[in-house]
Amino acid sequence: MPRRHRSQRAVGWLLAPFWFPLASLFLRLRFGCRIEDISRSRALYHKIRSESDLPLLICANHLTLVDSFFIAQALAPNWRFLLDFDSVPWNTPEEVNFANTPFNHALVYIAKCVPIRRGGKREDIREVLSRIEYLLGRGEVAILFPEGGRSRTGRIDPDNAGWGVGRVIARVKDCRVLCVYMRGDAQETFGTYPKHGDRLRVSMALIEPKSDARGVRKTRDLSAQIMSQLAQMEADYFATRAGPSHAVAGS
Amino acid sequence: MEQSAVMEGVVKILTPWVKNEDALQAVGMETNILDDLKVNSARLVDVVIAFEDEFDIEIDDEDVDTVNTVGDAVKLISEKLG
Repeated sequence: MPRRHRSQRAVGWLLAPFWFPLASLFLRLRFGCRIEDISRSRALYHKIRSESDLPLLICANHLTLVDSFFIAQALAPNWRFLLDFDSVPWNTPEEVNFANTPFNHALVYIAKCVPIRRGGKREDIREVLSRIEYLLGRGEVAILFPEGGRSRTGRIDPDNAGWGVGRVIARVKDCRVLCVYMRGDAQETFGTYPKHGDRLRVSMALIEPKSDARGVRKTRDLSAQIMSQLAQMEADYFATRAGPSHAVAGS
Repeated sequence: MEQSAVMEGVVKILTPWVKNEDALQAVGMETNILDDLKVNSARLVDVVIAFEDEFDIEIDDEDVDTVNTVGDAVKLISEKLG
């Protein structure tokens, strides 16, 4: 695993000066979305990364196929990602959507992605999560969607969450979780893409899930804490939607 | 505990999560919990915790990976029961 990881990381880093601006340009032209108060979310991520080397897992709500791209944009400008390539989150896109052709497979390879098949064989999913655990353990950042896919209701559903995230956290010592809630003002429910020109609001909360339970109960407890945090952030989002943008940090 | 009693307990626990009633009617040791019974994989953790409560055992995360069929669950629980 270390060798495979090093190769993918090296290729992604070498090509980053090309694919970072291209990806940003594509997002701007194709979607025209604006992330509200982006400087604040970027400053917060930079602060979190600067203050500690402990493992950092990003857990976000999931409404469109391109959420992870916009979340990455909200975390740091391209130049900072180039200087600190480890801060570019590893991502686990759905294989059917993003790695369905050799070309797409190459793209996700250089973009620090480890494709996963939703509803796939458990041993395959286990292997992907093991790799995420390995990456987190060596100080890299990864992003997982605790719901396991786009929310079919358009809302966080704590009772329908997967437990893979809890399992990862249980296995990575001192793992912190940066909960990210992102939603476009025109995003009423889940969809393929955000509405063109939409205003995306991003909020963040850094938490350290803990549980004294053991085995699968611990896994469930940890997952539940993350889902609970995201549900609270969603409630805050709708409570303040008519007001100014918000980007908050918890501890 | 007899294996048949464990099997009965496993099926009883699985029943509320089963989406394929036909497969449940013909359930056996080879029945796949996710593929045949169509239990939501996200709910597997709740099923396993229910196993723990019902049989008063503790199941590790790694053990869950070995459970694919009803027979796997029966075997695992029987081993835990000693």
